[in-house]
Amino acid sequence: MVTGRDATPASIRAALARLREASRALARRPPRAALASLARLLDEWRDPGSPRRRELEAALPAATGFSPETVRAGLAVSLEPLSGEALERVARRELGGMRALEGRGALHICGFETTAVLLAGALPTPTLLDLLLPLALGSGVLAKPSRHDPVTPRVLAGALADLDPELAACLALAPFGSDGAGCLDAFLEADCVVATGSDQTVAEVARRLRPPRRLLPRGHRLSVAALGPAATRGRALESAAEGLARDVALWDQLGCLSPLAVLVCDRPGGAARVAEALAAALDAAEARWPRGRVPEAARAAFAREHEEAEFRAAAGRPVRVLGGRGSPFTVVLEEDARPRPAPLHRFLRVQPCRDGADLIESLRPLAPWLAGVALAGFGRARPELARALARLGASRVCAVGRLQQPPLAWHHEGVALLLPLARLCDLELTGLRA
Amino acid sequence: VSGRPDPARVRLDAEVLAWTREAEWRDDPVRFEALALELFAHQFARCAPYARFCQARGLAPRRVRRWQEIPAVPSGAFKELRLTSFRGPALHVFRTSGTSTARRGELHLDTLEVYEASSLASFERFVLPELAPGERTTLRVLAPAPEEAPDSSLSHMFGCVRRARGDFHSAFDLSGGRLRLEDLFAALRAAEAEARAVTLAGTAFAFVHLLEALAEGKLRLRLPAGSRAMETGGFKGRSREVAREELHGWIAGRLGIPPARTVNQYGMTELGSQFYDSTLRRPGEPVRKLGPPWARVRIVDPEGADVPPGGVGRIAVYDLANTGSVLAVQTADLGRARADGFEVLGREPGAEARGCSVAADLLLGAQEPGW
Repeated sequence: MVTGRDATPASIRAALARLREASRALARRPPRAALASLARLLDEWRDPGSPRRRELEAALPAATGFSPETVRAGLAVSLEPLSGEALERVARRELGGMRALEGRGALHICGFETTAVLLAGALPTPTLLDLLLPLALGSGVLAKPSRHDPVTPRVLAGALADLDPELAACLALAPFGSDGAGCLDAFLEADCVVATGSDQTVAEVARRLRPPRRLLPRGHRLSVAALGPAATRGRALESAAEGLARDVALWDQLGCLSPLAVLVCDRPGGAARVAEALAAALDAAEARWPRGRVPEAARAAFAREHEEAEFRAAAGRPVRVLGGRGSPFTVVLEEDARPRPAPLHRFLRVQPCRDGADLIESLRPLAPWLAGVALAGFGRARPELARALARLGASRVCAVGRLQQPPLAWHHEGVALLLPLARLCDLELTGLRA
Repeated sequence: VSGRPDPARVRLDAEVLAWTREAEWRDDPVRFEALALELFAHQFARCAPYARFCQARGLAPRRVRRWQEIPAVPSGAFKELRLTSFRGPALHVFRTSGTSTARRGELHLDTLEVYEASSLASFERFVLPELAPGERTTLRVLAPAPEEAPDSSLSHMFGCVRRARGDFHSAFDLSGGRLRLEDLFAALRAAEAEARAVTLAGTAFAFVHLLEALAEGKLRLRLPAGSRAMETGGFKGRSREVAREELHGWIAGRLGIPPARTVNQYGMTELGSQFYDSTLRRPGEPVRKLGPPWARVRIVDPEGADVPPGGVGRIAVYDLANTGSVLAVQTADLGRARADGFEVLGREPGAEARGCSVAADLLLGAQEPGW
């Protein structure tokens, strides 16, 4: 259901009313039916030959600016863990099986009648999950598509209509501009709001939201990689560089799981070897997954950081810039591990660290925004380092080369997936008279 | 301060100072180019990091024939290195705003004379154009006084303007990070009652605070005809952001200063000259940014070439008032050429908008993002 090409406050309120009805109708079905439909949809999308997957592959490059090769590989990698079985596992783990959803236990769990999802960015898989999870709880979902990816919500709505029309009636799309304050206020009348976007966007939503409504912020995040001494030479370095190049190249480093910097904990010289290997790997990655469209402002930011690093290098600082001006990637070997601007679009900083403790301290200023940390080469120190990163605030610690392939169960934002979208009620029926 | 004066520098300073004191401003490309090339050679010889940067690009004074070929230093370099073209310690250091975690850009100066002359001359031409030479105005400043913020180039400029053109009623109305609203309201009401025009100048964010306070108190002022407003700076790292047109409309609604008498200033700590909306100097004409004839702007693509007319590119400033540092600065801002001036498009968050990665702005506070 689409409220129209340009939604109005009235059409948004009407859509919310229809979604309430659809959610109530859905509540008369066994909850496992909706879950099963969504599981089937995920399995279909994982199949590269499926019509919906092909539709995504065909439409996303023009809409999002990613190259067709990047879209194809990005979808293959990121959809692979999103199986129907994985979704059912998450439901079982978080909800304790179907009993609570079906109202058969002492705990009753259900979705809100309406959930508004404010989508942002051009990456299709976060969009897919943001829409699919409230649907799994039987909520009516009103989505404002991102202007950078109008495709994924539309394809999802189409797929649902084919698969389960009653569930499809629980999804409506409401496109409206960022200047539509009246539309936004109507949109925020949903019972639950999932707000994705920059800190500024999320803060604006929080400011406008009228209680009592639940807000689930999904702010922008960042990721990094860290290489220990065992990954800075020989075949291990080659392998790590290849994996990191893939982590960077897929989605052109625009995802919250795209590494922006590689911190190298090794003796002097290790970071330089890593920078050289990464430059070679990113050069090779360009042939497989060409960099997509770079907006003017981003091109300017990229050039600015490139020049700034060149200036420091020319001025005699121990800095090296790999990848020429106009090249589709830049690797900067830095002199220290302090945070620096990240223009994205395949701009990677390689920064030396003394050890794991130095790594943690270097990341501390960025802890509130930290999502993934990819590790390689730390040997037996890895578990302890991973725990320290978790305490710091990372929501995912994984192997190098795996950043773009989070499991469906990944606790984005460090919280559960389904429970925050649900209403819980404790049924203390034993003390009540019949 | 820096020992014996460098005769070449003294002569260059004198040339620029003479230009700032001329009653009539004339666009003089030949004069600009000659001075720019001479100043470039001077700075190349005295600022070693800059010289190495130029050499890495295969450029040196003998190979540069036009001012447009002078290599521009990325503004971020002022955060990393002391870029001076004089020997000895600095007399004064201006710093960019920022937080405790973000490194701040620094402009080291061995003399304030050129900086002050350039800033004052531009303020007079673009903000006070219809006042007679030497005529004073009630200048209320929404920024801290120079004594409170000695490393703020903006406060320093306002201090110069207040000394040269402010009247008895002039004051700085921001102290300890807060607007002194009672004093300011009283001063504005008095000006209103006496039909005395006011020049209200300050940071855009301070204006927002003032306007919010007026709105909360349900207050509206009708400042006398001839009043004007000058705002500058963005909202990076602030809790809220207001579009420039919205801000100017708000100033009109709450203070009674129409948009036709409100100008935005485009300036940077790293520069000795500033640019202003043409609104007051060229009323009735399409608004664009104009600067003094000793400062020029190029709109360039990421490779440093001029973008075609009307195209969007990065703003590079060539400022002869930067005698003590480097004259060519590549800013981080996007702009577009407009007739004899240019338009500032700001730093669009284009890099992060398409993804879900934090990148372009806001990490680590106001000034710069971190990875």
